[in-house]
Amino acid sequence: MTNSGSGPKASDGGQPTLDLKTHKYQDRIPIWNRLDFGTKGRIVDIAHHGVLLVFIALIVFPLYWMVSTALRPEQQMFTRPIPYVPRTVSLKHYTEILLNSDIPLYYFNSLSIALGVVLVTVVAATLAGYGLSRIDIPRKKLFARGILFGYMFPSILLAIPLFIFWRQLGIIDSRIGIILAESAKTLPFSVWLMWKFFDAVPESLEESAIMAGATRFRAFYEIALPRAKPGVVAIAILAFATSWDEFTIPKILAPSQDMWVLTVGLSSLVEQNQVLWGQMMAACSLILIPSFLFVFFLQEHMLRGLRM
Amino acid sequence: MVLMTVLPALTLMLFLNLTPIIWSVAAGFNEIGTYDPTWTWVGLENYQRLVESPGFYESMVTGVIFTGASILVQLVLGTGLALLVNRAKRLKSLTRTVLLVPYLIPTAVLAYMGLWMNNSTWGITNQMFVQAGLIESFIPWYGLPKYAMPAVVATFSWKYTAFVTILVLAKLQSIPDTFYEAAKISGASTYQAFRDITLPNLKSVIFIVLLLRSVWTFNKFDIIWILTRGGPGTSTTTPPVYAFELGFQRGSLGLAAATSVALFAILSIVAVIYFLTLSPEEEVTLR
Repeated sequence: MTNSGSGPKASDGGQPTLDLKTHKYQDRIPIWNRLDFGTKGRIVDIAHHGVLLVFIALIVFPLYWMVSTALRPEQQMFTRPIPYVPRTVSLKHYTEILLNSDIPLYYFNSLSIALGVVLVTVVAATLAGYGLSRIDIPRKKLFARGILFGYMFPSILLAIPLFIFWRQLGIIDSRIGIILAESAKTLPFSVWLMWKFFDAVPESLEESAIMAGATRFRAFYEIALPRAKPGVVAIAILAFATSWDEFTIPKILAPSQDMWVLTVGLSSLVEQNQVLWGQMMAACSLILIPSFLFVFFLQEHMLRGLRM
Repeated sequence: MVLMTVLPALTLMLFLNLTPIIWSVAAGFNEIGTYDPTWTWVGLENYQRLVESPGFYESMVTGVIFTGASILVQLVLGTGLALLVNRAKRLKSLTRTVLLVPYLIPTAVLAYMGLWMNNSTWGITNQMFVQAGLIESFIPWYGLPKYAMPAVVATFSWKYTAFVTILVLAKLQSIPDTFYEAAKISGASTYQAFRDITLPNLKSVIFIVLLLRSVWTFNKFDIIWILTRGGPGTSTTTPPVYAFELGFQRGSLGLAAATSVALFAILSIVAVIYFLTLSPEEEVTLR
């Protein structure tokens, strides 16, 4: 690893000790081995950080390109060479999708479904995690395996059979149908996480509270729950992110356009033989807002929870 | 009383994880239309049709190629990047923050970003490659059979390489520095220290990535569907894309369900390997 991108003949190690080996071939000593230790270190360092910078650029550039496309007028998108930095900024694409498209409707659908998934996941997983950690149920190992098996289910294997089933129940194109199906993805891991979190909260605290006259529920609510709060926040973030990201489940379970979520609804910006790329990138950048806000806000919160 | 707390989640999970399996198996024995919800019993006919259709095998092979290539790229780049970040003197916290970015971007958004950036007429990557002299003219990356799969793998890996990096980085940081100091004092080279300390410690996390990410990648639908619709031709039609086409475009949900059963069987095999080799359930039951 120390040799990444270093000078010629770097294959012989670049280690200072190797200088001894090459001693008798003075004239053939590669340039790399004639450098002193400090210079070598600096070259390796520069190469090392150079590669890191390339990786950072690879991650950041697509984001920059999305925003820069969304903000430039059309004549600076469809031209050659395409300017890397827009010469003028225009909000036209944003006003178009906010006023003249169904994106706001899909935004509302996405938000309401994501919040539904968060609610179902947090309530069910927190209670179950507490219960599993506090009671001695038989076959706990089998139970744990069942949870982990559920965690492995991919979206497509939930969506296809559930489409057949939901149609029999008449909940195709309904929020509840999508929320339930997406909860199948978030619940197993969340239950698992809360189980581990409550395992780390000593039971003796609750026992003494119950001795002092508190009900079992109060002991859970006032003693165990606050200590497991970082876990609750973590599963809430996870549930929101999973639902916000999900394409396969809402695509299959909600064929009608008025129930589309954002990820599915982006395709409405693809018209018969052209794509409204400016509006597409503007819509994409709007989709990112909650994920970034949510995670940023909750990360603060989570750190505070951990410090408590 | 406390037993009651487990009930909501238990009921939901039983309902939501068992019904997909039961309904796949049951629907696999029937002919069900996309728009006509009546079930007609056909016995093993769906399975027979799957086994006899070359498209099914083709999709399995394509799925294995897509999975193998994606996991290889993500594992090599992800681990490499983690090693770089771990040893970096500067840029460490910046990189760690930046690494979270791909994970925050919904896969559908990533796919449309890919379609735009790699557009055959107005794609910025095409312009960069031409300006750098790597290619002579703009290439429709997702539209040519020979480039479609590599292009999809590259786009997909943009997101999940960072995921591998985060996992491996966490593991790397849990290796005590004293191990490396001891190795250095005993005269081990950097490579020897890597081989004998770093790699053995990363073994379990790499194995988990191989196992879990493989099964999820094999079943990945969203990114392939948006980027190529499984095309051009069938060059990127993996099993989930194939199942979706059967169920929602060629009008046979029974066949789609039969394909799902095959995918469930693969999933179960991977799960058994996961449980037997790693015993992940010990983590909570040891209490």
